[in-house]
Amino acid sequence: MAHLKVSDVTLSFGGLKALSNVDMNIEPGLITSIIGPNGAGKTSMLNCISGFYHPTEGEVYYKDKKLTHASPHEVSNMGISRAFQNLELFSGLTVLDNLLLARHQNLTYSFLHAVFFYGKASRIESENRAYVEDVIDFMELEPYRKSMVGNLSYGVQKKVEVARALTLAPDILLLDEPMAGMNQEEKEDIVRFVMDIQKERNITVVLVEHDLGVVMDISDRIYVLDFGEVIGSGTPDEVAQNPKVIEAYIGED
Amino acid sequence: MSVNTWLATGNFNTTYKQEQKTFFTSLDRSVFTFFLLILFIWPLIFPLSNKYMLVIDNVLIAIVAVMGLNLVTGFAGLISIGHAAFVGIGAYTVASFCRTIGDTHVIITHFWPVMIILSGLVGAAFGGLIGLPALRLKHLYLAIATLSFQMIFQWVINFMSFFNQGQTISVGRVFWFTGKIGRKDHYLFWYFIILTVVVLLGFGIRNLLKTRYGRCLVAVRDNDRAADAMGMNPGLTKVYAFALAGFFAGVAGALHAYLYRGVGFESFTLHESIGYLAMAIVGGLGTLNGSFWGPVAIKYLDLGVENLSEILGHYTPGMNLATALKPFTFGLVIVLFLMFEPRGIANWWRIIKSYTKLWPFRY
Repeated sequence: MAHLKVSDVTLSFGGLKALSNVDMNIEPGLITSIIGPNGAGKTSMLNCISGFYHPTEGEVYYKDKKLTHASPHEVSNMGISRAFQNLELFSGLTVLDNLLLARHQNLTYSFLHAVFFYGKASRIESENRAYVEDVIDFMELEPYRKSMVGNLSYGVQKKVEVARALTLAPDILLLDEPMAGMNQEEKEDIVRFVMDIQKERNITVVLVEHDLGVVMDISDRIYVLDFGEVIGSGTPDEVAQNPKVIEAYIGED
Repeated sequence: MSVNTWLATGNFNTTYKQEQKTFFTSLDRSVFTFFLLILFIWPLIFPLSNKYMLVIDNVLIAIVAVMGLNLVTGFAGLISIGHAAFVGIGAYTVASFCRTIGDTHVIITHFWPVMIILSGLVGAAFGGLIGLPALRLKHLYLAIATLSFQMIFQWVINFMSFFNQGQTISVGRVFWFTGKIGRKDHYLFWYFIILTVVVLLGFGIRNLLKTRYGRCLVAVRDNDRAADAMGMNPGLTKVYAFALAGFFAGVAGALHAYLYRGVGFESFTLHESIGYLAMAIVGGLGTLNGSFWGPVAIKYLDLGVENLSEILGHYTPGMNLATALKPFTFGLVIVLFLMFEPRGIANWWRIIKSYTKLWPFRY
């Protein structure tokens, strides 16, 4: 059974079809990449899964539950978290608070506990703080723990973005171009994190990425989108030999 | 490792629980306690005239109101131009009880703490209701929606005979354990009560900001899309922010009603709303201590201008300078703050604090 199933999804904005009849199966425990030229509908696909857009036609299922009309917070509570392409961090907060915000649903004390900050609130806060510290340790963000996110460099902010999605303790992690605009060294860092996330934390990763070298190296499955349609899918080798894919990327000869 | 908490010069925390403390060293805590103690005993040692005590009480009530406004506008980033109307809701909750059961009824005079809390809850209910447009509206449009609430509130008060058409509805004198609070002690008594309320609510906010119920406010301010993806409902959070602000405003309103022993509509006009907003800006949006600096600064400015125009009045007989100077200085101060210190007085406080911490070294 597929973990996350996108079946026959069409997304149109007026006359423009961002996605048409897309089918995808995202298998548990694997790294699945979605690639394609600019404007192919990769981010639209992620938005459909994470609830920011609702498909015009077709359905999205997660473990046989329909996600099609769920709102983003419902999707994230089901265990699908995402990191954004353009930094969407809480820039007026510290790295620590950004990550603690991702623990929102796990902080199960009541309002009165919070106002008086005794017993339960204090205990649950420190438990979740420990979890956050674990993620900070994993993502190697220790030096920035107490810095304002808005003051950090782009590369670090991207890392915080991934860390925040990871702090939600998801089953599926949707990463939207985590390597965009980074130098070689930072890219290698992120690749290492993505592979660790899959192997050590057993999280299914869905990766949208432009860097074909990275995608071919680390993906288990690849879906290629062009003009909103799936033009090829399979293992990296299969995709690399798919004539349609070659045409979309290199052009006709 | 046990550390001498009196002489600690740095951060020696070893557990996450230790880091949750409001005061990190015993010195911090005792300085603060001492400061509070002074706030509570100075009026007994240096008794002030009723006129000045009233000004101070007013400042404290404004602090309660601005704490609420700061939560919704400073922390949650939702501009509210109807805050005086929420304060009015609190005051008119007390007033409507006075109208129905009489202003010297035992509930009004003996159970006033209950009345104050009740007014806060009514304020919160209205806050939540008025916050509903926040589900759809953003930024300036939301501000206009709160402005319309201000207008509706004024209109309703002005035209309903139940509210005496905005004329003063009197509130009876309250009782303490020692008996009825007379004319002489009235302002001093309410000074202690309002100060207690300010301290309690201040600590409440301090705690709240350390928890999910405070962080979610900042989250919807900074990025409500991401807040949604983090599993919180941004719409509900905004409504909750308005309800919270409504609670503070309601409490402030009830205190206002008891302090003036009457409720009239002119204390809850648009002008007052703008005043609260100015206090929040001058104090520093999005900071807790800004809610204290702002009202103090603005009210002190008012008082200073009043005294100044009284002195200047000797040289310009027949002119009331206060009417001209008050709005002028008020506007000037806001403009200057927006231009040169948009983070408000709270930022000065931050700078002074870090300076004294490092003194005599530069950094």
